Amino acid sequence: MENKINRSLTLKRLWYLSIKNLKTMLRDRNQLVWLIGYPILFMVLYKVALGVDVYDFMAPALIIIGPTVVISQLAAHFAEEKELGTLQRLITTPASRSIILLSGLFSQLIVASVQIILLILASLLLGAKFDPNVNIILLFFIPFLLSFTSLGFGLLLASFVKTAGSAGGLAWFIILPLQFLGGIFAHPPIVEFLPTTLAVEALRSVMTNGIATFDAIGLNLIFVGVWGVIVIIIGILLFQRKTAIL
Amino acid sequence: MEYAIETSNLKKYFGDIHAVDGIDLKIPKGFLYGILGPNGAGKSTIIRMLSTILYPTDGEATVLGFNLRKEASEIKKRIGVCPQELVIYPRLTARENIHLIAQMHGIIKNDYKERTDDLLGRMNLLDRADSLSKTYSGGMKRRLNVLMAVIHEPELLFFDEPTAGLDPQSRRVVWDFIKEFQERESTIILTTHNMEEADDLSDELLIIDHGKIFAKGTPSELKGKLGEGDIIEFKVRDPKNRDEIIELAKSLSFVRWGKKLGKHRIVINALDGLRRISDIMDVVKVEMEDISVRTNTLEDVFIDLTGKRLRN
Repeated sequence: MENKINRSLTLKRLWYLSIKNLKTMLRDRNQLVWLIGYPILFMVLYKVALGVDVYDFMAPALIIIGPTVVISQLAAHFAEEKELGTLQRLITTPASRSIILLSGLFSQLIVASVQIILLILASLLLGAKFDPNVNIILLFFIPFLLSFTSLGFGLLLASFVKTAGSAGGLAWFIILPLQFLGGIFAHPPIVEFLPTTLAVEALRSVMTNGIATFDAIGLNLIFVGVWGVIVIIIGILLFQRKTAIL
Repeated sequence: MEYAIETSNLKKYFGDIHAVDGIDLKIPKGFLYGILGPNGAGKSTIIRMLSTILYPTDGEATVLGFNLRKEASEIKKRIGVCPQELVIYPRLTARENIHLIAQMHGIIKNDYKERTDDLLGRMNLLDRADSLSKTYSGGMKRRLNVLMAVIHEPELLFFDEPTAGLDPQSRRVVWDFIKEFQERESTIILTTHNMEEADDLSDELLIIDHGKIFAKGTPSELKGKLGEGDIIEFKVRDPKNRDEIIELAKSLSFVRWGKKLGKHRIVINALDGLRRISDIMDVVKVEMEDISVRTNTLEDVFIDLTGKRLRN
């Protein structure tokens, strides 16, 4: 009985903390504009500057910009909690460190989901090529899976930085290599096994070519997932260690 | 007697810095226990250890009967912490900030909503309860900081310099609020370097510096240790001969003790100080820039113990 009550309290804490995270994110308009505006800016620039053919080919890669930006979002979120002292304040309550951490990941995934939907809609509005047989679920799932991986990178960064400002700046040391080497801005990609490369290829197959077979995208998705699991585990361990009571 | 906090040889080192260096405490339940000391004395480190934020380097402690090292989760359910810094979410309203802490403690919604309104009203924040707290003045933020520590009505409250930077009126509001909790028999640990605050609120006091205990007792016991005399403080133009001046002053029968303070001052404890200033001046025969006389305060206790002021 006591275990059941504790479990219910833990879930409630996770819920309330996630709501708090979402409220604080939604009230930071600059961050929201950045989160959606930055990828859309690239979509518009590619379409205007490089023409329809290049835009059609690069559109899936430009959608993938969105999930990479999540790295700076999550790192800034936890860095702000450290900077404000609110992380320590929460630690003096019955909320466990794991629940605080999970709530951060959970709320960022919700924001990332909305971001992905908006970016797909923006691609449509800008006239990107969508195969008539496009698998809608995979169209959403591939960038979502990469968002999950990005959260791991964000957590790694959040373990080391102390302020939201430095998190926002240092995140580019991870985001830019992932974008440039992962074939987001130019084709072919320079590094094949990066999660961005794998996600762009899979999304292009689904969105532009309408091919969603396991042979075409299965291994890519598995490897993006493996990337995600590895960086999330390392990120959680590091973050727990760096914010542990000393 | 039941104790809310018991510590034995409690230590916290940060590399070579001995922030807390072997503190033994027994704080009875229901007491308001003041910890008085200058900045960097180790007051906040003691609170951070006892409130489970920092892990002790050495020593033992029990908080509300629970072992600090092994039963931190039980302690967290029963304490409230008001940190020295303004620790609030700037993009949440006052009401949302308070609700969040109540939710973490598993308080039922109807209860915490009612309590929140009551608390906001008592701290004169109800009118702005639904504005984002980043729009508040420093005083309003500090009052919110206090409310977030008490919404769940904890058995043990830690107030770390709760009135730092507040104007006198707001300070009085916070003091009255803390006194209310004292009347409800909560145990309260209050750190301060404000002697008036420590004197006015504390049942018992601990005076610390450099992580060590210098004195313990009730405010009147501690002041009583200085004797019945008044405190005369001189600022001398030439500080070179202060030892000699003190010795000369001590040769007078009504002078109980004398100490150097800072770079230019001398503090003398003398019976009937106001009427005896001219007698002292006749004996020491040096030029003074400033002279003041007052009754004993906790600051004088601190000066007596450490040879320096509480405030830099």
